[in-house]
Amino acid sequence: MAAASYHTPRLLPALALLSLGALLAVALSVSTGSVAISTAELWAVLQGEGDPLHHTLIFDLRLPRSLAAFATGGLLAVAGALMQVLLRNPLADPYVLGLSGGAAVGALSAMLLGLGSAAVSGSAFIGAIVSAITVFGLAHGTGSWTPTRLLLTGVVIAAGWGAVVTFMLAIAPTESLPGMLFWLMGDLAYARSPWPALTTLLALSLLLLPLGRSLNAMARGPLQAAALGVAVKPMEWSIYIAASLLTALAVTTAGSIGFVGLVVPHMLRLILGNDQRLILPACALAGGALLTLADTLARTIIAPEQLPVGVITALLGVPTFLLLLYRSR
Amino acid sequence: MRRLLVVLSLLLAHIASAGSERCVDDDRNVKVCLDAPAARIIALSPGATELLYAAGAGDKLIAAVSFSDYPDEAKALPRVGSYNRFDLEAILSLKPDLLIGWHSGNPTEQLAQLEALGLKVYYSELRGFDDVSRTLRRFGELAGSEPAANAAAEHFDHGISALRKQYQNAESVRVFQQIWVNPLMTVNDQHLISEATRLCGGINVFGNLPRLAARIDHEAVLAANPEAIIAGGMGEENRSWLDDWRPYSGLLAVQRDNLFFIPPSTLQRPTPRLLSGTRMLCQHLDTARGRR
Repeated sequence: MAAASYHTPRLLPALALLSLGALLAVALSVSTGSVAISTAELWAVLQGEGDPLHHTLIFDLRLPRSLAAFATGGLLAVAGALMQVLLRNPLADPYVLGLSGGAAVGALSAMLLGLGSAAVSGSAFIGAIVSAITVFGLAHGTGSWTPTRLLLTGVVIAAGWGAVVTFMLAIAPTESLPGMLFWLMGDLAYARSPWPALTTLLALSLLLLPLGRSLNAMARGPLQAAALGVAVKPMEWSIYIAASLLTALAVTTAGSIGFVGLVVPHMLRLILGNDQRLILPACALAGGALLTLADTLARTIIAPEQLPVGVITALLGVPTFLLLLYRSR
Repeated sequence: MRRLLVVLSLLLAHIASAGSERCVDDDRNVKVCLDAPAARIIALSPGATELLYAAGAGDKLIAAVSFSDYPDEAKALPRVGSYNRFDLEAILSLKPDLLIGWHSGNPTEQLAQLEALGLKVYYSELRGFDDVSRTLRRFGELAGSEPAANAAAEHFDHGISALRKQYQNAESVRVFQQIWVNPLMTVNDQHLISEATRLCGGINVFGNLPRLAARIDHEAVLAANPEAIIAGGMGEENRSWLDDWRPYSGLLAVQRDNLFFIPPSTLQRPTPRLLSGTRMLCQHLDTARGRR
């Protein structure tokens, strides 16, 4: 990756542009839905006047959902970027180490037991954390800790979770199947409150900023990083913990939404170059904007019926990514 | 002389048994014929189990699939897998003389394989009120329990037509039928639930959606602003889905407290219990009319 010819524009203009895009995405998402609200009506609602129905639609339904979508997309993209640095593997994504599988087993168990949505989120989070600790403990094992070993452990644990999920789907009663399948596809309809995800995204993005230089060194490999004075082991630990936490929160908010965490970091690297000081905040903004747009489309294309958001992220992301890759030659 | 008698008696026996051959059309309009009343029946869907018990053929039922939980006796039946994947060896080893399949729910290949092995399969596919009583009568004929089955069918038909008569001129009530919560799901006018809603003088606000069971968002419900919300729920005594609507005070259904629970198994399954579910629905809609 690092060998590709990148041009590195200045940090601030790039981030300003992405912030503007993110704001536009949220604005678009808040102003569209299965009920048409005109600009004048929207303005009235923002002034605290207007139809109470419109007020409910915008403040109770659309805004929390847009913010949750934005936060989830941002979390996944940042987690993906971190995993790609940690494993030095372009195929790494937030789920490659089995985190989403653990979360899925947690969430589906809660659904099988007929528990409510708060319990589903809670057990998804526990599942994700259990999975992260298991992978880390096993990869650490007898002391030697390499990215390859971590990757293999994660992939095998993910396969194990996959089998448990399939088993649960096979024994589940018919009426709970749609709920389970939609959870597995990822869906913002589950999002309760956007605040935990949003504040974590902001806090971790700020925390990671001063580490940008060390992360750049890590992306070149552990030997070079050590030569540049980076404490490699603690750095690897913190990247792993940060990425796991981000992913666990994203999965807890909206189920396992694929694609964003894999492709957004690559897209940004193709455009902005591989400078982690720029890439990480850019991922937060671009990942958030992409998922917000995708969710808006998912709930409006065949409104009032809803599509799973994962379909849209892939449909939007695949051509964009291929175009960028094609032009990067 | 003696030999002649034997031959004659065999012939008579044959004629007698041929006389008791019974044939009914199944829901594919294929004739299912039995030489004698079925005595060893396996039901391959929970709905078929319930209908067989209602048709007085419960004692002929030797096995069922998982989630066959009504009536209580059904819980004790041996299981041959689930409706979407059953154990062919278990079915064969029980030597059934009749299988009640579910046309759109069972795996087609497995049913075909069972037929190819020489088993009699009745394909059931119930879509409306009429199908319930028709199926009861057919099951009665196949199992030789006609009196009980016909009585159950008549009871059902009478109950439904009494409700139809009672509510035919009732003022209409706009209803949102919620069948699931995460994701939020409803049904269109093709669904059994909507047939019951229409009978009670209700109008399904999402009746025109293209899909039988559709996933929708909260926004669409707020925009449709139904006068009543009817929800099933997980389990049979769960009102939490309805309480989720209370914060939306702009909804007419919330303002008038027209949030009603109906046990899903009585309104979503085409079985004789549909009568009690429909009756409950009609009463709820009448309550909603009284709150105008």
